[in-house]
Amino acid sequence: MTQKANTKKETPETTKKCCSEDSRRKFIVVSTVTVSAACGLFPLASGITTVFDPVKKSSGKQEKVPWTKVAPLQNLSEDGKPAKFEVILEQVKDAWTTYKNVPVGAVYLARDGDEVTAFNLKCPHLGCAVDYRSKSNDYFCPCHNSTFGLDGSVTDVESPSPRGLDTMDTKVEEGVVWIRFQQFRPNISDKVPLS
Amino acid sequence: MNRFLDWLDDRSGIRGIVKEALYEKVPGGARWRYVWGSCLTFAFFTQVVTGTLLWMSYSPSAQTAWESVYFIQYQVWGGWFLRGVHHYMAQAMIVLLVLHLMQVMIDGAYKAPRELNFWFGIALLGVTLALSLTGYLLPWDQKGFWATAVATNLIAEVPFIGPILQKIVVGGVEYGHQTITRFFALHAGILPAALIGLVVAHIYLFRKHGIHVKEPRPKKDSYFWPDQILKDGVACLAVMLAVIILTLYFKGAPLGPPADPSNEFPARPEWYFLFLFQLLKYVPAFWGAVIIPLVLGLLIFIQPFLGASRKGHQFNIGFWWCLLAGAAGLTFLAFSEDRSNINHGAAVKEAEWQANRVVQIAQEEGIPPAGAVTLLRKDHENRGRRIFAAHCASCHRYNGHDGRGYSVEEDPSAPELAGFASQEWLTKLLNYEHYTSLEYFGGTAFKDGTMAKKVLQKFDEEEQELLPQVAILLSDLAELPYQESLTEERRESLMDIFYDDLACIDCHDIDSEGEGSAPDLTGYGSKKWMTDFIINPEHERFYGKKNDRMPAFGRDNKLTPEEIEIVVDWIRLRPAEK
Repeated sequence: MTQKANTKKETPETTKKCCSEDSRRKFIVVSTVTVSAACGLFPLASGITTVFDPVKKSSGKQEKVPWTKVAPLQNLSEDGKPAKFEVILEQVKDAWTTYKNVPVGAVYLARDGDEVTAFNLKCPHLGCAVDYRSKSNDYFCPCHNSTFGLDGSVTDVESPSPRGLDTMDTKVEEGVVWIRFQQFRPNISDKVPLS
Repeated sequence: MNRFLDWLDDRSGIRGIVKEALYEKVPGGARWRYVWGSCLTFAFFTQVVTGTLLWMSYSPSAQTAWESVYFIQYQVWGGWFLRGVHHYMAQAMIVLLVLHLMQVMIDGAYKAPRELNFWFGIALLGVTLALSLTGYLLPWDQKGFWATAVATNLIAEVPFIGPILQKIVVGGVEYGHQTITRFFALHAGILPAALIGLVVAHIYLFRKHGIHVKEPRPKKDSYFWPDQILKDGVACLAVMLAVIILTLYFKGAPLGPPADPSNEFPARPEWYFLFLFQLLKYVPAFWGAVIIPLVLGLLIFIQPFLGASRKGHQFNIGFWWCLLAGAAGLTFLAFSEDRSNINHGAAVKEAEWQANRVVQIAQEEGIPPAGAVTLLRKDHENRGRRIFAAHCASCHRYNGHDGRGYSVEEDPSAPELAGFASQEWLTKLLNYEHYTSLEYFGGTAFKDGTMAKKVLQKFDEEEQELLPQVAILLSDLAELPYQESLTEERRESLMDIFYDDLACIDCHDIDSEGEGSAPDLTGYGSKKWMTDFIINPEHERFYGKKNDRMPAFGRDNKLTPEEIEIVVDWIRLRPAEK
């Protein structure tokens, strides 16, 4: 009932008796509206911060991306043909749960001598998983038909993807490929890491 | 604006609705005694909004309920405050219900033609209590788990269908995922829906019959807007402030350690159910769960008819005062019994310790997918306390208690082990008075043994002054984590006392090949020494045949090697409390 009190209304009897009566009434109405508004807003105000918690936690707090082992270098074809690998992170925190050694995504790795290029599996358009087509030797997104060359760049002008496949830092140490696995904001021309 | 309102009014008739809502006649003028219904509506509105916000972060399952509530309480921005408001508003609602009910009874507003509305009100009371009960379990902490177990066991007392009903509510025989999902569906779906339906009917009937006013009217009639609404609003504001103060004072709602059926906990319901809890100490469960509620329910049902006569009305008011006084008396008894029960206090403290501990581990290590309860079960400090309590505390004490904080009725029959092998502990040990006191060997055969009677008691003053030096030497062998080690020079000079001045070496070996007649002190109090000792104190390195009742925990498989390691680490972890 109290919530409805926000609506200002005049009483049926609007005849002014005298000034003090009138100002008293005005005081009562203003107080009532204020008090009712406070009560009406209180429940939402008491917890609305929790809704914005994910925004607060991510803003400006981009954690350092850890290096993660992906595969032995010898498992990559020397002719530069890409292959798909799972990325398993040592520790992943999802709200209240901490997982150990869980797959968090996949990458295409392509070898060029001792250098390795890593592409995120997700299409930079809207996040579908991209396929490598061995016949045409390119990448193809089965959702909206974006195509990418082996260097990751968009090959077809009709492709809806605003940028090429997202690369990530790689290094080879003692015959093992390491990457810094990251996700990026979809559907913009710049490559911006998600945080 | 006006044009928009005109348009809206034309399509919806909103002005008429608002007018009808606001210009309800208040016969006899606005009064403070009419505020309770509005306060309750406000409280319920708060619960719906805050409950929905909590829902955004809550996850009902045995491995995620406590964990997500922990997340809300400790990680989510402002989560603790939101939980606090929901928790304390629920309690405020119970208080407001009682106030509303008593006002209705005293004013006689329950009588004809308002019987139906009185029954709706009583149903609302029941639904609100059910909301409290179901909400209590949702954090899936020890308190909610054990207290609700009592409540659901009472369901089984219902004749014929009780056991089936219980299975339906619990979602099986044991508490688990299904219990939480069902309680959550009740708490956030079925019960609020029922409450909204009942409130709508309640308010409709209230409007239909108008405010019940006692004649002669105190003032001239007025309208709901704005006079009564201002009074209602101020009362709601007071409720709100009380809830905010409670939330700030207690830093939000409590969260106990995660539910664990293997970890005992003294089940106590929330304070407003304590009278029922206490009642069950005096009457059989069947009476408490079925007969008494049934009789009271029937009596309450016929109260509007009884109230038709003056005497009946007086009886009704008397009945509710007695009921309230009875409940208050039982609540008081429940509180005072718990307060005078030392072990209950220790159990509450133990639960607090576990709650703090598990939060500390969760913040350091994170919570595994198997849930936070595994953190406590694996935690060496928690296990150390429990192993000590279960296996050592029947003879030894730790800071005078059983390791967890519970007092033990019997006198100790073996040494106090808090700060074992520390300088303070050993200095006291090497004093005849202490050695033969209950704090050390007073409860054992050693109080009349060689060490007591032929050594400690016989030392002259000069020798006695050297004993604290021996304590420092021996304590150094223990390599306790909280004590600094001695320099090589100091150790050498102390060894001279051990070897020459006091000739301890005649019976006790340190780093020597020979076999003295008393325990070998090589590495005394160290992890290895203690482990070996607990494995078998009858080993010739230790007491041999002179062992007095100390079990060979390792040799006889009373404790696993892992358990021995845990309890040894735990005893060595920190000094005794001053």
